[in-house]
Order: sequence, then C-alpha cells, then structure tokens
Amino acid sequence: MIPLSLVASVAVLGLVGIGLFGLLVTRHLIKVVVGLQVLVKGALVALVLAGRITGQVQVAQSMALTVIVADTIVSVVALALAVQVRRQFGTLDVRALSALRR
Amino acid sequence: MSTIGFLALLSIAVPWLGAAVVRLLGDGRPRAQHGTAVSFALAGAAVAVAMIPRATGVGVLDVPLGSAFGRLTLLPDGLGVFLAVVAEVIGSLAVVFSVDYMRGERQLGRYYAYVLFFIGAMVGLVLSSNLLLLFVFWEITALCSYALISFYNDDPKAVAAGIKALIVTQVGGIGLLAGALLLYAYQGSYDIPTFLATAGGLPPTVLAVMAFGFLVAAAAKSAQFPFQTWLPDAMEAPTPVSALIHAATMVNAGVYLLARFYPAFEGVPYWTLAVLSVGTVTALLAAVMAIVSTDLKRVLAYSTVSQLGYMVYAIGAGGLFASQFHLLSHAVFKALLFLSAGAVIHAVHTRDMREMGGLGARMPVARTVMVIGGLALAGIPILNGFWSKELVLEAGHAGGPAWAWAFMLVGAGLTALYTLRFLSMVFYGEPRGRLAAHDAGVAMQVALVPLALGTLTTWLLAGPFGAYLGPAAGAAHAAETTRRIVVQVATAPATALALAVVALGLAAWWRRASLSGVARALGGVGRAASNGFGFEAINRGIVRATVASAEALRTTQNGVLNWNVAAILAGLAAVLAVLALGVVRGV
Repeated sequence: MIPLSLVASVAVLGLVGIGLFGLLVTRHLIKVVVGLQVLVKGALVALVLAGRITGQVQVAQSMALTVIVADTIVSVVALALAVQVRRQFGTLDVRALSALRR
Repeated sequence: MSTIGFLALLSIAVPWLGAAVVRLLGDGRPRAQHGTAVSFALAGAAVAVAMIPRATGVGVLDVPLGSAFGRLTLLPDGLGVFLAVVAEVIGSLAVVFSVDYMRGERQLGRYYAYVLFFIGAMVGLVLSSNLLLLFVFWEITALCSYALISFYNDDPKAVAAGIKALIVTQVGGIGLLAGALLLYAYQGSYDIPTFLATAGGLPPTVLAVMAFGFLVAAAAKSAQFPFQTWLPDAMEAPTPVSALIHAATMVNAGVYLLARFYPAFEGVPYWTLAVLSVGTVTALLAAVMAIVSTDLKRVLAYSTVSQLGYMVYAIGAGGLFASQFHLLSHAVFKALLFLSAGAVIHAVHTRDMREMGGLGARMPVARTVMVIGGLALAGIPILNGFWSKELVLEAGHAGGPAWAWAFMLVGAGLTALYTLRFLSMVFYGEPRGRLAAHDAGVAMQVALVPLALGTLTTWLLAGPFGAYLGPAAGAAHAAETTRRIVVQVATAPATALALAVVALGLAAWWRRASLSGVARALGGVGRAASNGFGFEAINRGIVRATVASAEALRTTQNGVLNWNVAAILAGLAAVLAVLALGVVRGV
C-alpha cells in the first residue's frame, strides 16, 4: 500500500507546481486568481503534512485554518479588483495594469 | 509594586499622558494648552525629583512582553535617575519658556504633544534595562526630534533639517539594533545588567562588533564626528526645542549609552582609543566652526557638539564621573544659553549676529543670564562649567594619551574665544542694525533665572553627585567630597595651564585687531570651517549615490506578473541549490 505521506508529498509538489506554472504563463486576471488558489491549496497540504511529521498536529491545524481564511479574503479582493479592472480597462489582460513601468 | 517602581513608571507616563491631553484639547484653546503642557511637565519634573533619594541598583517593575521582546524592566539606578531628572527638569523649564516664545503660534497641540512625548521617551531610554526597549525609546526620541525640528513644516529648510536628523540618527540606530540582536543571540535575553556582569563571557569578536556598533550609535545621536552635521541644521526648530534637544534630551542619549556600557566594552581592543579620538576630533572641529559662524544659534549648536566631544573624550579616558558631571553642567548652562538666545531672537526676529550688537542695554535680564551661561561655557571659575571641564581635562591627563590632552587644551582656548565673540557681537559694541528689542517676558524669566542660579551653584554638588552615581562612576570618585574635589582641581598644575589657555583665548579676542595678520594666514581654515569642512559635500554625495542606485533598481520593477513569478522561482531554485550543496558537503 502506498504510504499517506508519499501521497501528500506528491500532492504538494503537484499543486504548487501547477499553481506556479499557471502564474508563470497566464495573463488573464481570473486565471491568475485560479493559479494562486491552486498554489495555496498545495501549501495547505504541505502544512498538514508538516504537522503530521513533527507530531504538532494542532499547530498545523490552526495555521491551516488561518491560511484558509486569509486565502479566501485574498481571492475575494482579487476578484473584486478584476471586476474593476474590466470596467476601467475593458480587458482582463494583466499587461494592461503594468503602470509601474515608465 | 515598590514606590520607586511606581515613580519610574509615572515619570514616563506623566509626560506621555500630558502629550495625549494637549493634543486632544484642540488648537482652539491656546490658554488651556499652555496651562496643561506646563502642569504636566512640572508634574513630571516633580516625579523625577522624587525618584532621587530612592534610586536603587536592582531592577523594578518586571512585566513580561512576550517571547520576542523579553521583559519590560526599569532600572532606576544613579546614572539613570540622574539623566531622567535632567530630561524632566530642564525639559519642563523649556516648556515654561515656550509659553512666551510660542504665544500666538498655530498648532500648539502638535508642538506641546511632541515636546512632552520626547521628554517621556528620553526618560524611558535612560531608565530601561532591556536593550530592545532601550532601542525602541531611542527611535522614539529620533522621531520626536524629527517632528519638532520640522515643526515649521511650510519651511523647506526646516523640513530638510528634520529629515537629515532622522536619517543620520537612523544610521546610528542600526548600530544599536545590531548590538541588541547580537546580545539576544549570545545571551538569550536583552537584560543589560546581566550583560554588564557577564560581558567577558561573550566571544571577543562579538563584543567588539557590539562595542563599535554602539560607538556609531552614540556618535550619530550625540552629533559626534563624522555625524556632526545634523545638529547645526536642527537649528531651524523653535528655540525651546533646540534647548530641549541640546540640553535635556537627545544628544545626552549617546553619552549615556557610552557611559552605561563602558564597563562591558572597556576591555575591547582600541575601543577606548576610538572613543577618545572621536571626542577629540569633534571637540576641535566644532570649536573652529563655532568661531566663524555668524548665526547665533549655529554658534551655540557647534558649541554643543564641541562640549559633547569633551564628554565623549572623558569616557574614552575612563573618566565616567567627569563626563557625567560635565553633562550636568552642560545641560544647565546650555539650556540657559539657548533659552536666553531664544529671548534675543524672539525680540529682534533675526538669528544673524552681524545685525545685532549693543542689545545689552535694552535687554538687561537676557544679557545677564546669557553672560553667566557664556562664562560657564568658556570655563571661567567659579561657574559650574569650569569645574567640570577641569575634571574632564584631568581625567584625560590621567587616562588618555598626551596628544589628545594637548588638543583638548587648545579646544578650551578656542571655546573661550568663540564665547567672547558671540557675547560681544550680540550684546556689546555699537548697534549694527536698527532692531526693535524688548527684554524677556515673564514666563521666559521664570525659566531663565533658575537655570542661571543652577549655573552658579551646581558644582557644589560634585561630591554627592559622585557618590550618587556610585559604581557607574568608577570607585575612584565614589568616596570624594565636594571639598576634596575642589581642592584637588584648584591645586592641580593642569588647571593653571588650562586657565592660561582660556585666558589666551580671551586675549585673542580683545587683541583681534593686532592679530589680523594671523587671522589672514588662517583664512583658509576659516573658509573651510564655514563650509563645514566639506562634510556637507560628502552627505550630498551619499544622497546622490543612493538615489541613483534606486533609479537603477527601478528597471527591475517592470510590473509584469509573469516576470515577478519567474524571479520568485529563480530565487527558490537558488536557495534550494545552496541547501543541496550544503547537504552534499555535509556542512
């Protein structure tokens, strides 16, 4: 039987990798939010796994809960911003937002 | 809680509470604001004075602040209580003086709130026995000084001076923070008494880094070479604030830091020599700059820098008692000088001494007290500045190299010269401009007279003061009485020499006409001095380089998400590579 920690490790690597890849290649703001979500879910699994390995399950649980809350807020704000970007710029391409560039 | 613990906490809380109340009163009620600020400042001074007989060598008030910050402990020992009293008493006199000086100003709430916050932070700085808290109070004083120097925030010069003071003292703050973190890393706590008792147990390199980090911090705070440029620029502040920064708070913090940690760093190779050299160079450079400056407040600012150099020099030579005693004398007579200069500036609305002259007849009170303060600064017997400066020179003679001592003697002569110069330029001779002058107001006189009396008498406290500082002053002076110190100073051959140099400085001013050839020969030095010996150019260069590198780094901020993520991944890969290499090598 495959050990649980191996499954979790593969899940972490897979989710974080997919998330990062998504952030790396996409220019669509909604897809950016989706990529971020996938990445953070990978990090969540990593936290739970770390708690299991070190035996500090409660610490890992409370941190995971904190991450879930923070992550939800980030998504909500990002999607709200996306709505505003669509209204202001008429597009969801993140390149339209690079106003920092001179 | 013990009485002293309660008083120590109160001495910080009263000014801070006053700051909040003054701010909340609103600027519509200036009379109430003046009254509140004065009563809270005087209450703070009363609390500080009440601490004097109760000073203790053990920490009081032990409040845990969570694992990262250690414990909030206050240590009201002789040294700490002494500086707290200086901050609160002289600070409260500056507040009383402000009632006249700041009358009719808008935004009194902002002014008084920062002044009181400043005083409370300074008291916290000297009473705290937790190094991290000391750092926090240290930075609060820096922020308050910035806010007060830039008080006239529609004046670009004032704003620039405030920012300069903030940046320069931040550089020093880094040294202090590095020292605090190193202490935590090696000792496991921020407790200062533990550190002083067990400093020998730390690795020598760590101790050396801490010692020199603290020296940088103290030099930046006390405007020592090469950080001296911020203090003269800080003259853009309202004059009571200058008195506060120069006499009661801020610049004393650096000298306090060196004196507090001297027992721990004494054994670090070259540390005492470095401290002594910094003091010597500063004292001389600043004295020369004071001779050529024509702005009354800048002269006083340079004289502060120079006198702080004397204190730092004394610490470098191991004369802790002499340095702290000079700090006491200096706090009193420099507060007197600044406040009387404030009375003059308030009356004539200019700081340029070339436009003054002959003001003495019309401002008898201001002239009398300023001459008393000036003579103390010049080191004329029997004023307090004389005794403490002689003690500093004596300590330097005993514990420092001869060249430094000779330089400091020259500095004493220069001090007498520039003191006489500014006194006569302001008060004597023919009036050079048509200035309307009136004497100091009532609140100004209330603040000036106690300081003048203090300048005449604080030297009588030498003996009890030495005993009071106790172990911090070194055992040598612990058992001395005022009488013995006076006899010792009066009969030392060095005193006669120093007095001769001072007399030479005075004579140089009286005979300045016949010395014009010498003055021309030294013209180059004078021009260099009035340009601040080029330190301004160095500062500007550093600022330009910083801005240029920031502009260069801006190109990396292209705002494209994909590139940013790629950079994060690259960074992750680099960290993983380093870790992997480390694992392979078994480091």
